[in-house]
Amino acid sequence: MQESGVVVEGLVKRFGSFVALDGVTFVVPEGTVVGLLGPNGAGKTTVIRILATLLRSDGGRASVAGYDVVTHPQQVRAAIGLTGQFAAVDEDLTGRENLVLVGRLGRLTRKVASDRAAELLDSFELTDAADRVVRGYSGGMRRRLDLGASLIASPSVLFLDEPTTGLDPRSRLRLWEVIGRLRDDGKTIVLTTQYMEEADQLAEQISVIDCGQIIAEGTADQLKTKVGGDVLDLRLSERSQASDAAALLAHTFGIPKSELTIDDELGIVLIPVQAGASALIDAVRALDGAGVAVADLGLRRPSLDDVFLSLTGHLAEEPRPDAPEPLQRRGRPRI
Amino acid sequence: MTAVSVEPAGLTVDQRAALSPRRVLGDIALIAGRNLRKVQRSPGLIVFSTIQPLMQLVLFVFIFGAIANIGTGTSYKDFVVPAVLVQSLAFAAMGSGVGIAYDLQSGMVDRFRSLPIARSAFLVGRTVSDSLRLGLQSLLLVAAALLIGFHFHAGLLGALGMIVVVVLFGIALTTFSAFVGLAVKDPETVQPAVFIPVLPLVFTSSAFAPVSRLPGWMQPLAKVNPITYAIDTARGLALGSNTLYKVSHIHLATAAEYFALSWVLIVGIFTALAVHRYRVG
Repeated sequence: MQESGVVVEGLVKRFGSFVALDGVTFVVPEGTVVGLLGPNGAGKTTVIRILATLLRSDGGRASVAGYDVVTHPQQVRAAIGLTGQFAAVDEDLTGRENLVLVGRLGRLTRKVASDRAAELLDSFELTDAADRVVRGYSGGMRRRLDLGASLIASPSVLFLDEPTTGLDPRSRLRLWEVIGRLRDDGKTIVLTTQYMEEADQLAEQISVIDCGQIIAEGTADQLKTKVGGDVLDLRLSERSQASDAAALLAHTFGIPKSELTIDDELGIVLIPVQAGASALIDAVRALDGAGVAVADLGLRRPSLDDVFLSLTGHLAEEPRPDAPEPLQRRGRPRI
Repeated sequence: MTAVSVEPAGLTVDQRAALSPRRVLGDIALIAGRNLRKVQRSPGLIVFSTIQPLMQLVLFVFIFGAIANIGTGTSYKDFVVPAVLVQSLAFAAMGSGVGIAYDLQSGMVDRFRSLPIARSAFLVGRTVSDSLRLGLQSLLLVAAALLIGFHFHAGLLGALGMIVVVVLFGIALTTFSAFVGLAVKDPETVQPAVFIPVLPLVFTSSAFAPVSRLPGWMQPLAKVNPITYAIDTARGLALGSNTLYKVSHIHLATAAEYFALSWVLIVGIFTALAVHRYRVG
């Protein structure tokens, strides 16, 4: 069976006794963007490394652009572009030299590599810095150059592993714009992220991954619908009061306490409600009457954060306690 | 901003994945060229990695040369220069592992491994660029040695032969250094991890005194030490076979045979280990 796009079936990967992937399955049809959303240590990077032929899986199978990653790794490499969490660009080369090097290793002729490099530098607004060594580039410029390097040989499938982790908000927006254009151009993209907002913005389909398993799939809207209704988002001044406040509000709205999401450590309580505005007023009255100090209380449509919380019972940015330490430094996760 | 074109690069996936000998050589050349460009862009590195062996040269020639006497009519200066060259290139070979560790840390190795290039290109390209770097460094050191009064006693061929042996030994140690770089993965750690085993090997060899003049317990160590034979071979080529025999009681041919054998073993073992490390990632 010849499938294009990306097909992942029952992928298993163990590092010693740590099970990094526990039967991951998902499909990325050709020309679509699928977001792999999950916290640090969920297994996102492991999936990408297996798909990019950098790592062997211990079970299951995966194919990219119609080629099995184990039996035809060389074809897979010829079909993909990879942008990792840490921009893999050579600091001692100029931006242009980096692109030309990767282009020529990707089998472009000297002329085509040089033309494509100029085109990408222009497209990613790096022309002014093109002939400076990368050492002096900002984080955002490096990421754009790294993305350019993975695009230079016109791959049919693109892997973006946490492309905006550690970037400032402005650089992130800029990179989103670039990725959005690639999506509109019809590239097949697998994007991993720990930012709900990013998956919502860029991916047509989202697979939520946690502890090495896909725990939910669908469009952002479908996932939001799973939570249903509006959400009252309560942040307490005294974190320890979360449980008491939740009990109080469960009583106020006449729903079982188990339907509320309670985070004792962060002092957050999320309450699913139907009649939004009046629920807000009822909540304020109840909390005020009980003398609970409120840091923030708001009413909103459920975000993907709520989806994640309701699916996993913890926030996306919390790492798994038993996950091995990441090998390299990472940007500070954002809540 | 113009749109990024998405049309394929004119080749099918199978065509891009194919590896002809010409492509493999091209990949090696591209990676070696990239490494050399990095060296060229770090003038500080070149200056200091040349000054350090120059200082060693001066130290051994003028200070030890003033007190050491190996008899047999050969000056300590002529005796010690080939050894200082071998030692300098052995330490210059550390740069190989450091460079590889940086490439691992910066993600360049992942970048190369995700491209449809020959798997061997990264390590072979590294060896090619290091050989050129070591060759250049050996020429600079020979020029400096001649300036401070070193003499070749066995003609131009002997001189060239010595340079080749010195560089070959440096290349052998780049394979060890490359393996350490891939195993240790941390540039800061690679340096001591290569330095610590190599330094005592240099001192327990024929580098600074003939083996017969070393302390009794050290002599068996020196006789199984590959550095002894690299230095004896270089010395024999620089000073002539007869002088080598008078000083060290070993024939040039014998030294060369042991050197060749140890070179093949070092290169074979550490290349295999490095390739294995590179493959498993």
